Amino acid sequence: MGNSTYLASDAKLPYCKGCGHALVVRQLSHALEGLGLPPRSVVLTTDIGCVGLADGLFPYLHTVHTTHGRSTAIATGMALAEMMLPTKGLKPIVMIGDGGAMIGLLHLVHAAQLNVDVTVLVHNNFLFGMTGGQHSAFTPLNWITATTPEGNCIPPLDLLALLRTAHAGFLARQFATDSNLGAVIAEAIDFPGFSLVEILETCTGYGTLRNKATGNALREVVSRQGYSIGRMEAQQERPTFGALYRHEMESRPPAKSRPQVPELSVKSGLANPLHIVIAGTAGERVQSSAALLCRAALSVGLYSTQKNDNPVTQGSGFSLSEICLSPQPIEYTGMESVDVVIGVSQDGWNELRANGTLAQLTPRTLLLVDAELEISNVTGRLLRQPFRREATPKRAALAALAFWLGMEPVVPSAAWDAVVASLPVERREDVAAALRVGKTLASQGGVAVS
Amino acid sequence: MVAEGALASGCRFFAGYPITPASEIYEVMMQELVAQGGLALSAPDEISSLCYCVGASLRGLKAMTATSGPGWALMTETVQYALMTETPVVIALVQRLGPSTGGATQGAQGDIFLAEFSTSGGYTIPVFAPSNAAECYELAQHAFNWSERLRSPVVLLSDKEVGMTTEVVEEAALARLATVERTWVDAKAPSAAYDIERPEEVPAFAPVGGGVKVTVTGSAHDRLGRLRKASPEVVEMLLHLQRKIEAHAAEMALVRPDLDPDASCLLLSYGITARAAREAVGLLRREGFPISFLQIQTLFPVPTEALNWACAGIRTVFVAEENLGGQYRAVLAPLLAGKRLLGINKIGSMISPGEIVCAIRGVRV
Repeated sequence: MGNSTYLASDAKLPYCKGCGHALVVRQLSHALEGLGLPPRSVVLTTDIGCVGLADGLFPYLHTVHTTHGRSTAIATGMALAEMMLPTKGLKPIVMIGDGGAMIGLLHLVHAAQLNVDVTVLVHNNFLFGMTGGQHSAFTPLNWITATTPEGNCIPPLDLLALLRTAHAGFLARQFATDSNLGAVIAEAIDFPGFSLVEILETCTGYGTLRNKATGNALREVVSRQGYSIGRMEAQQERPTFGALYRHEMESRPPAKSRPQVPELSVKSGLANPLHIVIAGTAGERVQSSAALLCRAALSVGLYSTQKNDNPVTQGSGFSLSEICLSPQPIEYTGMESVDVVIGVSQDGWNELRANGTLAQLTPRTLLLVDAELEISNVTGRLLRQPFRREATPKRAALAALAFWLGMEPVVPSAAWDAVVASLPVERREDVAAALRVGKTLASQGGVAVS
Repeated sequence: MVAEGALASGCRFFAGYPITPASEIYEVMMQELVAQGGLALSAPDEISSLCYCVGASLRGLKAMTATSGPGWALMTETVQYALMTETPVVIALVQRLGPSTGGATQGAQGDIFLAEFSTSGGYTIPVFAPSNAAECYELAQHAFNWSERLRSPVVLLSDKEVGMTTEVVEEAALARLATVERTWVDAKAPSAAYDIERPEEVPAFAPVGGGVKVTVTGSAHDRLGRLRKASPEVVEMLLHLQRKIEAHAAEMALVRPDLDPDASCLLLSYGITARAAREAVGLLRREGFPISFLQIQTLFPVPTEALNWACAGIRTVFVAEENLGGQYRAVLAPLLAGKRLLGINKIGSMISPGEIVCAIRGVRV
């Protein structure tokens, strides 16, 4: 396999005289040649900047030129896809500048965390070259650039130190002029997992205009920054995301089958849509009780919609469920009127007042409100019952539903029996107990307070 | 049901980032796609989510992500990249109240402009808008099929009220579409050029990593995929991006009409508001008010033929949508010249059938 398999032998390199990029593409080509990787098994993913000019220089490799900073993320996507394919072997190599490394820093961090099989070559020439020499997050202190005419006062980023905290497996830093650069790049490509080589270079177009940035002067600058050169002490080798994923897939227990809703021969007698609101407190099974009602309704031929609401925190404060039951398919899923309001906690009740639900009640609205709640000025048929005390707070919503259906059997009790029977064994008794309390209270009769 | 539709379409890759009201799609894919042997993973942000999908699609896998307005805002860079590089990918955009982080748990239809007009240059991105769970399943399949067939990003645009409402779906009535695969390049081809004879043709796809050399760039490029300045060939390639979508517009058009030949008034809606609109039409007809109804499922490309057909003999068109100024109405306005075009709009909560009836009754038609 000749050198031309990688870098076109007649390639006229498009870089400024003395630019480190020219050294990197040659060393990359040597590295690929040394590794003997088939050209079609390599994808060069290049970023924005002069670094992106490399695409055209490697006529036999796949090349993907991306938006600024995203080269690592798109290469990561390709590497992730690769692990799903039977014929594995695609090697994404990212060529990115120091500007791209900063705007796409998160992608580098995540690729390192995932430990995907991607090699990143960061071409660090300490500034934005293609756009006119503006300073970057990697510009050394006191450097004069197009945007730091008085000298840069922001300390440069140590990318390797940062990525080390993201558990990167292979990290190295070299000068573009180092004779062993090709060998280091080859080692990085060969590393099974995320690898990154930061290559320190000179931008002869802008970097050296007003800064001492060639030869030993560059080494001094780098030394002052405390940058280590060579391979960083490796993290303990760890499996790639692909290996972990496959292991997880293989060891994952079979997916639980979804609970089947029984279809009963008995049908609901409901003639018109019915709107129900259940208002309680987060963690007290308001929404799961509403879901059980919908399943029971489905088993007797009703359509239903259920919407839930809770504060941002989800685990505290109110919890609401709005349910519509209907003998026909439901179009509009909101409530232009409310038929039944179930209030089982003060949080929930207060929210009904705050969100305007209580203001839209009519004298026909049935209100089932826990006896402990402080309420005032409501319109409708009000019934107070000790759901919380008799059933426990976590069973109060279901008990209230059972109470209501004991009075108005929109969903016959056979449907509840069937739903309970369809639940996992460990949940059955809990649900059945709540339903029993509601039925018992209903059989004792509620007292209308109006 | 968006996730179920994606799985039925052969989606094999999903990258997600949590955001209400789209998180449920993410969670279902993390469970179900993994169980089916695909790859679902958590990305560190929405930019990465879509980049991962694009990378996976370039490798040859059908890919999807899901987000809401704030996440979509971050994704638009990569949506354009997918468009320019002709990379199939589906984005489920579950709208919520905006602007900015807006209302995470409040519905809205305010991202019509954002979804369609986020590209520099004004290229058409196909947008499908389901109004219920069953349509989520069906339109997710259309979204995948057209994404693959056209090699284009496609948006499945629902909203919080569609996405987070649990409802009964009749399994037997669910639409199950034949799955469309992208056309793969002949493995003996010398390169994966955008090799087309006519601008409306969709070039065959070659995966990165396959035997055919692939050259991809988000920059303007020639037929070989090489970055070039705006030469006539480059302009031709840019026009091709739009022509391939336009050429399939009629085939992509999905509408649900309910027309009354005696009506001089048409109510038009889409997404969640189409449900209230359908109820409103029933109420008005019971009052003896003749009215036609058109639910649009393919928002873009605009289904002009269906629109013209539904508008025959119509003098007044109402467009009901849950946004401030009537975003889709503004899109339709030039197409409905000569007709009176009125909006029924609201933000903050769903438009109810009663409100639509009131609005229509209040206008002399």
